[in-house]
Amino acid sequence: MSYLFDPANWEWLVTGNNFRFILEGFLVNLEIAVIAMAFALAFGLLLALARLTRVRPVAVAAGAWVDVFRNLPLIFLILYLALGLPAPWRNAYEDVVPSFFPEALQSGRVLAALLGLVLYNSAVLAEIMRAGILSLDRGQGEAASALGMTYAQSLRFVILPQGLRRMVPATVSQLITLNKDTTLVSIIAIQEVMRHGRIVTGFNFFGGVQAPVLQVFLFIGALFVLTNFLLSRLSRRLEVRERRLTAGRATPTVAGVEDQVAAEPVR
Amino acid sequence: MNDYLDLLTGNLSELASGMWVTVRLVAISFGIAMGAGTLVAALRVAPSAWLQRLGGIYVEVFRNLPLLVLLFITFAGLRRAGVPVSPWVAGTASLGVYTSAYVAEVLRSGVFSVSRGQIEASLSLGFTYGATLRRIVLPQAFRTVISPLGSLIIAMIKNSAIIGVSLLALPDLLKSARVIQSRTFETNEAFFWAAVGYLLLTATVTALIRVLESRYAIRR
Repeated sequence: MSYLFDPANWEWLVTGNNFRFILEGFLVNLEIAVIAMAFALAFGLLLALARLTRVRPVAVAAGAWVDVFRNLPLIFLILYLALGLPAPWRNAYEDVVPSFFPEALQSGRVLAALLGLVLYNSAVLAEIMRAGILSLDRGQGEAASALGMTYAQSLRFVILPQGLRRMVPATVSQLITLNKDTTLVSIIAIQEVMRHGRIVTGFNFFGGVQAPVLQVFLFIGALFVLTNFLLSRLSRRLEVRERRLTAGRATPTVAGVEDQVAAEPVR
Repeated sequence: MNDYLDLLTGNLSELASGMWVTVRLVAISFGIAMGAGTLVAALRVAPSAWLQRLGGIYVEVFRNLPLLVLLFITFAGLRRAGVPVSPWVAGTASLGVYTSAYVAEVLRSGVFSVSRGQIEASLSLGFTYGATLRRIVLPQAFRTVISPLGSLIIAMIKNSAIIGVSLLALPDLLKSARVIQSRTFETNEAFFWAAVGYLLLTATVTALIRVLESRYAIRR
């Protein structure tokens, strides 16, 4: 305990630019999370629709794809892609990545990290979206087609606006999981907060004192807890609002338990 | 195709022992997660506001902390601070504590899924508070938490892969594949078999949970 709170062990935080350096690393994590989430949402929606289509082979293939990528460890995907992606792909990424992106995201390895995060999270999000769509009353789709809407129209104007609204809270919780998972890209040597933490605790540091490992990672952990706590508050508020908006009718919202989707049974 | 079979037959014992390490990691961590999770769930339904708040803080902290950060704290951090922690202790404790926050939430919602009327009925029939919990609430709560706990075990299998390849040199399934890859340079083959291993594990758990569910679960 005395080791933990000894002011000498916290001196690193106010020495040199250690504090700034850690925060810069954390910002890279947030950026990776946002980029991966955007792609995962788009790709996840495609997968969910493919899974729900009436074209059997497409639905079965999409189902198998989702089940495989949802059940593989994310760290497995990232590591495999980092080792197995052909070099031309990585070079192509380095060519197209916008130059205003931070330096940490310019490396070709980031492609492996982003691909891994998107493959995994799109599979999870596809399940969340599918559960949201399936939780709608069948009558909604039937009424839409009785009104003469095409399948695409009924999706766009009737099914998706309602189904996707139900998955907003679950999507925010998935963003929390994704935010935590961005630390995994440090394993393939992308310069984010874990790497910055290791640099600060290492011998080749700039700032004067070598920082103790325990305190540095407690501080990094606190950054995550704070950010994710705010996100989970947001998720809860959205859930409450959704319930108020649809008061009177029992609407199942789609809830995720550590990426495993639990939707209420479809009646 | 032959490359794949050759790699499997040549490294079968290494892959199998890696899978066994993964199974043991998950089993021990699940024990820890259930123990700690039950305690925290008890705190969260305790009749004191302070205890409830304490349980709430525990859940918020460990649910929002990345597992990798927890591993750095418990292994590298404590070691540098002079506490001799073995990789197994740090790995299972981290994964266990990380999952215990989710377990606590699952158990709490399981307890709340039993309607108040049942508890009141049982108390008015003369059951003590303890007997009500043991004979009325918990048996029903258990049946509603089967499926979410199963999801947590699957999540643990996946999360256990983080332990081996990060700083703890535990030879689990992913680590074994990584070692085979760096020896043979057959990336696709080595990782293919690791993927098969993980999918086998998760599929087995899914099937087991489904059996338990069809036997005991109540759908609400």
